[in-house]
Amino acid sequence: MFQFSRIPALALWAIIGIQISCCLSATAAETKPIDFNRDIRPILSDKCFACHGFDKGHRQADLRLDVAEGAFDNSRSTIAITPGDISKSEVWSRITTTDPDSVMPPPDSHKELTVAERELIKRWIEEGAPYAKHWSFEPPQAVAVPNTSHPVHNEIDAFLGQKLEERNLKSAPAAAKEVLIRRLSFALTGLPPSTADVKAFLEDNSDQAYSKLVEKYLDSPQFGEEMARHWLDVARYADTHGMHLDNERQTWAYRDWVIRAFNQNLPFDQFTISQLAGDLLPEPTEDQLIATGFNRCNVTTSEGGSINDELLYRYAVDRTSTTISAWMGLTGGCAVCHDHKFDPISQREFYQMYAFFNSAADPGFDGNALLTQPVLKLNMPEIRTQQQAIDEKLAAVQTQIDEKAATVAYQDPAAAEPKSETMMVENVWMEDDFPATGRVFASPGAATQYVESLEGGAVFSGKRAVKRTDAGLAQDVWDQAKEPLVLPQGASLFAYVWLDPANPPKAIMLQYHRSGWQHRAVWGDYEAIQWGAANTTERVGMGPLPEVGKWVRLEFPVEKVGLNPGDGLTGFALTQFGGTVYWDKVGVAGAVNPATDPQRSFQAWWQQIAGKDVAGIPDSLKELAKGGPKPDVDTALLQRYYVQAICESTKANFTDLRAQAETLKQERQRLEDSIPSTFVFRDMPSPRESFVMIRGAYDKKGDPVQPEVFAFLPPLQKADPNARATRLDLAKWLVAPNHPLTARVTVNRFWQQFFGVGLVKSSYDFGSQGELPSHPELLDWLAVRFQTSGWDVKQLVRLIVHSAAFQRDSHVDQELLANDFENRFYARGPRFRLDAEQIRDNALKVSGLLIDKMGGKGVKPYQPANIWEPVGFAGSNTRFYSQDKGESLYRRSIYTFLKRTAPPPFMSNFDGPNREQFCTRRERSNTPLQALQLMNDVQHVEAARVFAQRILKDGGADDSSKIRFAFQEVLSRQPAEDELQIVQSQLNAHRQRYQGDKDAATKLVAHGESSRDESLDVAELAAFTLVSSMMLNLDETLTRN
Amino acid sequence: MDPRFEYQVNQTRRHFFGDSGLKLGGLALAAMGLSNGSAMADTSSGMVHPPLPGLPHFKPSAKAIIYLHMNGGPSQLDLWDHKPGLKDYFDKDLPASVQGGQRLSTMTSGQTRFPCAPSKFKFERKGECGTWVNTDILPHTAKIVDDITLIKSINTNAINHDPACTFVMTGSEVPGKASLGSWLAYGLGSENNDLPAFVVFTPQFPNDSNGQALYNRMWGSGFLPTRYNGVALRGSGDPVLYLPDPDGVARGDRRQMLDALQALNQKTLQRFGDPETQTRISQYEMAFRMQSSVPDLTRIEDESAATLELYGPDVTKPGTFAHSALLARRLVERGVRVVQLFHRGWDQHGSLPYQISNQCRQTDQASAALVMDLKQRGLLDETLVVWGGEFGRTVYSQGTLTKDDYGRDHHPRNFCMWLAGGGIRRGYVHGETDDFSYNIVKDPVSINDLNATLLHCMGIDHSRFSYKFQGLDARLTGVESPSVVKALLA
Repeated sequence: MFQFSRIPALALWAIIGIQISCCLSATAAETKPIDFNRDIRPILSDKCFACHGFDKGHRQADLRLDVAEGAFDNSRSTIAITPGDISKSEVWSRITTTDPDSVMPPPDSHKELTVAERELIKRWIEEGAPYAKHWSFEPPQAVAVPNTSHPVHNEIDAFLGQKLEERNLKSAPAAAKEVLIRRLSFALTGLPPSTADVKAFLEDNSDQAYSKLVEKYLDSPQFGEEMARHWLDVARYADTHGMHLDNERQTWAYRDWVIRAFNQNLPFDQFTISQLAGDLLPEPTEDQLIATGFNRCNVTTSEGGSINDELLYRYAVDRTSTTISAWMGLTGGCAVCHDHKFDPISQREFYQMYAFFNSAADPGFDGNALLTQPVLKLNMPEIRTQQQAIDEKLAAVQTQIDEKAATVAYQDPAAAEPKSETMMVENVWMEDDFPATGRVFASPGAATQYVESLEGGAVFSGKRAVKRTDAGLAQDVWDQAKEPLVLPQGASLFAYVWLDPANPPKAIMLQYHRSGWQHRAVWGDYEAIQWGAANTTERVGMGPLPEVGKWVRLEFPVEKVGLNPGDGLTGFALTQFGGTVYWDKVGVAGAVNPATDPQRSFQAWWQQIAGKDVAGIPDSLKELAKGGPKPDVDTALLQRYYVQAICESTKANFTDLRAQAETLKQERQRLEDSIPSTFVFRDMPSPRESFVMIRGAYDKKGDPVQPEVFAFLPPLQKADPNARATRLDLAKWLVAPNHPLTARVTVNRFWQQFFGVGLVKSSYDFGSQGELPSHPELLDWLAVRFQTSGWDVKQLVRLIVHSAAFQRDSHVDQELLANDFENRFYARGPRFRLDAEQIRDNALKVSGLLIDKMGGKGVKPYQPANIWEPVGFAGSNTRFYSQDKGESLYRRSIYTFLKRTAPPPFMSNFDGPNREQFCTRRERSNTPLQALQLMNDVQHVEAARVFAQRILKDGGADDSSKIRFAFQEVLSRQPAEDELQIVQSQLNAHRQRYQGDKDAATKLVAHGESSRDESLDVAELAAFTLVSSMMLNLDETLTRN
Repeated sequence: MDPRFEYQVNQTRRHFFGDSGLKLGGLALAAMGLSNGSAMADTSSGMVHPPLPGLPHFKPSAKAIIYLHMNGGPSQLDLWDHKPGLKDYFDKDLPASVQGGQRLSTMTSGQTRFPCAPSKFKFERKGECGTWVNTDILPHTAKIVDDITLIKSINTNAINHDPACTFVMTGSEVPGKASLGSWLAYGLGSENNDLPAFVVFTPQFPNDSNGQALYNRMWGSGFLPTRYNGVALRGSGDPVLYLPDPDGVARGDRRQMLDALQALNQKTLQRFGDPETQTRISQYEMAFRMQSSVPDLTRIEDESAATLELYGPDVTKPGTFAHSALLARRLVERGVRVVQLFHRGWDQHGSLPYQISNQCRQTDQASAALVMDLKQRGLLDETLVVWGGEFGRTVYSQGTLTKDDYGRDHHPRNFCMWLAGGGIRRGYVHGETDDFSYNIVKDPVSINDLNATLLHCMGIDHSRFSYKFQGLDARLTGVESPSVVKALLA
């Protein structure tokens, strides 16, 4: 005899007894033939499959009940299920026994069967125990559209009508037009309708009025923004890496691509292929590469002490689970550690799917970098055009330089007779620019600034000087010199400095780099800059600050800071503590012999740079320069370069022209740096080997696996049958006509978007633990229609919003609530709270503050202090929130910078996910913290005040017309008489109060960075600000009705 | 939803709709999961944060929990786990037999030597129970050892901060799960109608310490509805986000605005009959009440001088650990279910003796004061206090090693936590480690065991406390089978 899992137990019959006494009301299932998937599978899945299902690792008594072969196996001494005969079905006796040692499910599983469930199982066995494949694993069938007596706009209503009739529910009439236009506008654009659109719609009595509106919204750019934000939850898009430092990452081009894809109505199959395998398409477009950012949106880390293999493993698991969930609506995460208990996904199959993603080229450690490879630099045609214009100007300047160089006389002292003698010279390292052979950088926060004049007069020499103002320690640094600056005999270092008399520094410092930055000279407060060991050559006090308000030459022998003639310097830094400081002409004075000095002898210079790549030399001369001095070659062009750029005795002739060229080059570089990049997905050149990971441990490798899809789904069609399967094969498989899940899962998510709940409520789980569809035929019909339409998203949306069900009045009475609390049968129209982004965008739109600029780097609108800071890592570049100014405060919420470890409160407070994992369905909470935010957040108080300004200016002469105006703008309708009275008395009270307290009024209207309209009476504006705030807090305002 | 829960919901729903009129009971709606975020008052109990039906599962020994999280990995060797024999091992390599070749952090896995660093501090036996404690830097906590259970054998799976913190707080190293506090708020609700059920503090920590990041997920609701998020009361600025009315709006103005709002919302309710509208009306009233109840909470001037003295001089400075600890007591006094303090800076890879002394200076007195204060008010019997970090530290030194200066790397294999109050054994030490505090030799307690025990004290059977997420019955205590550690219970 076989054994069900047998575990000692407590008697729980008492509880089951209670259930018997209040047994469930009659269900439709009792009168209709049993349907395995509808009636039986959910019971078995929840109560039995954990021990008697697909997971062979946890299977008890070697019994499977998930397939007929297991349940009917008559080779066993006791048969679990004998079709048609409960007396020969051990299952029946075990679920009905009173013996706590043998009852199923065992008491300590805390699972129990209700009386109704046992009855269903009994009837099912008696009817022959027919098994069926789980509903969502069979391809959707083209179902015939049923007839119904309910109003039908399109096929959707026919399917829904059938169920309404079965349930004897009456469908509500169409919503009022004022309600309908709001519902449609929020659903398609995420924004309220404009007053003009409302007026036009109300006046348009034609049959096409609604359709025209639908088309207008489908064509608006805001359509893409509204659709995209739902997908971005699935894609777990955010602007930071998500773990440890949680630094910024630059991948917003992906977000913009999603918006663009919806606006261009990219067919969903291409949408899929681009994201999963755009890089593998033949000659992929830029958009197709950007789209692969989908698989780079997962959280990453660079935490010291992490283990690279573990990180790579986690990222691949995340990508696999996300793909399984986003397209197939299955919960792959279970199979990471063991065979799935409920769905037929073995652990091996999970890792076969994982093998598609396990060769990712991105590193385990993200480097805390803005751009973690692989990244794609975007094509920015407008910037390229600007750069071309600069290149032309640059060529013209270069021509002038070359022409002039041909006219400047130069004789190499090395070749001169008699031989030159040692002489005292000044080698200037920095005149208008730092030497081209190194790197320039500055204190964080302010790039190096060059000025051509000062408050008190002119620069010391050349065209410009370096300026810096700072409250603390700050500097401009030149380092990483490819060519050391050699100190001559008797050398002394010098620099010219001008201190602002109005804002002198506490101290200034010159620093030099030989093998380290251990050579410092400081003027002024010796303790102000604590670098280097005190009273050594690491920090030498040179006395008080030089005189302010004039150029002063600082000069000292190199030995003073621990340097010697012959040393090569590879960097110097101009440092200050506080104040405003100008620097000009930095260099070294000393004794050289022109014949051997590279700054004076062409041949000496050429010898010095031989074999090296030196920055600044034109490309056409690089090879010649690097080759070193050779007889019998034409050196004219190289020498011409030397004369204009290097030679101390001649280069002053070119100062102006070279400064022009340098400015142009910097502008070109600035443009280059402004071109954003974005994360893309790519595989390593050769695939990483994949294994079943035992118990989901990154270092416990089991059997090797190859990329492959789940066996219970249609087979993979490989482009090359003999080669390893690719992500492109996988992506195409997902959108193949015979795939049972992708189309269903996708149309269900759109349905959820428009009706609040999906036809399958568990939009994240189409497996046997998920809920069954409320309208399976409709779901199939929509899925088939979606596929055969060419995965046309706009057409699907058009179809849904044209249904009568979408357009119904949402009124609900007690009886309907009792019969259909959640509106799963669509007798009434959908009514639910706006999403986080919509609530904020609505306030901005109604007030007139909204900036409709699209795309680009995430913006940082108002946010209370101490959201980022308390959780921020000390070294993180997202530790401190630095709020933007101007129009960035009023952009649509989809463009708000999202830091994963501390998301914006306006998002998290209204159930926006933190994007750490994919999210296919948001909660809709209703909390006091939301009320506080909408009443008191500066964003909303400002919006109320700006809206009040509109009311006062555009709302007509008297209170009544102003209140009517407010209703029309906020709610798209006119107030009823009693509503008018309620608002009028509110207004009266505020008006009286603020007329008596202008101070309070002035404070109230001062919130926000937009300036208040001073032409309006302050008490009146304050009173209407609170009226506006009230209007923006209405349930009706916050609800998509 | 738990099927049992669903069943009870059906009962409630039937009962509810038997009533006449449009009396939309909050419990019924919230329980049905149909009002989604509704947290309106339950018409029968008057509760804003009602418990789930059927909870607690049995009589709890604690009504509230205060969890003092010492973030960064406090060194068990320098606080609690006294190893006198180590002085003979100064600068000698940790025997390979002890190390056993297990996983090291990559911050020290490249070290060629693993020299032992005995603690420089003085340990004494204190209290009637004679528990060993570092009396140099825990002089105050040393006074309450008779009231606590010290666990020396806590262990974790994770070796880095982010996954270890996520694990200790949510039972999983991978982000996305619900935190301990959210689970409790979800299951047990709260007795206070004017304050959130789950409150969090992130007090200041020493400027020169190695402050690791905190993550909202440590008090986040994960897959649970977001109304179960911990509400972080802030040390600076407004204690609750957006709490005060804007400048220029007085209480009377707000009341007038709300009166108009509610009158219009009532009309909407009549027009559409949506229960969510009723909830929204309630929530705006709750918000209005919170605008008074929260400032009342933070008004510590009404505390006696003796109480303030007990917590130490920092207690009057908002944002300090001491101030937060006092507010924690005031919160549980008001019926709030869960309070967590996250004190950062315990990650001492170097200069450990100096830095850990600073850490203790900020936390020792107030942690002990909290226990004593609860006790003298008779609240300790019904309040569970937890103290601990996310992992321990290695016996071998990282970086500089002298008798007085050393650092320690992360050590997940064993570390110390203490528990006190509601249902916890007094004056007890649980678990033992080897002579190097490197391996557990007796009574290991996993994070999931610990969390199962905490839930047990709160009247919850962890194995029956689940939420459907991604096809799993997700539990705080994971898919393995952890056990309540009975030895810890009074």
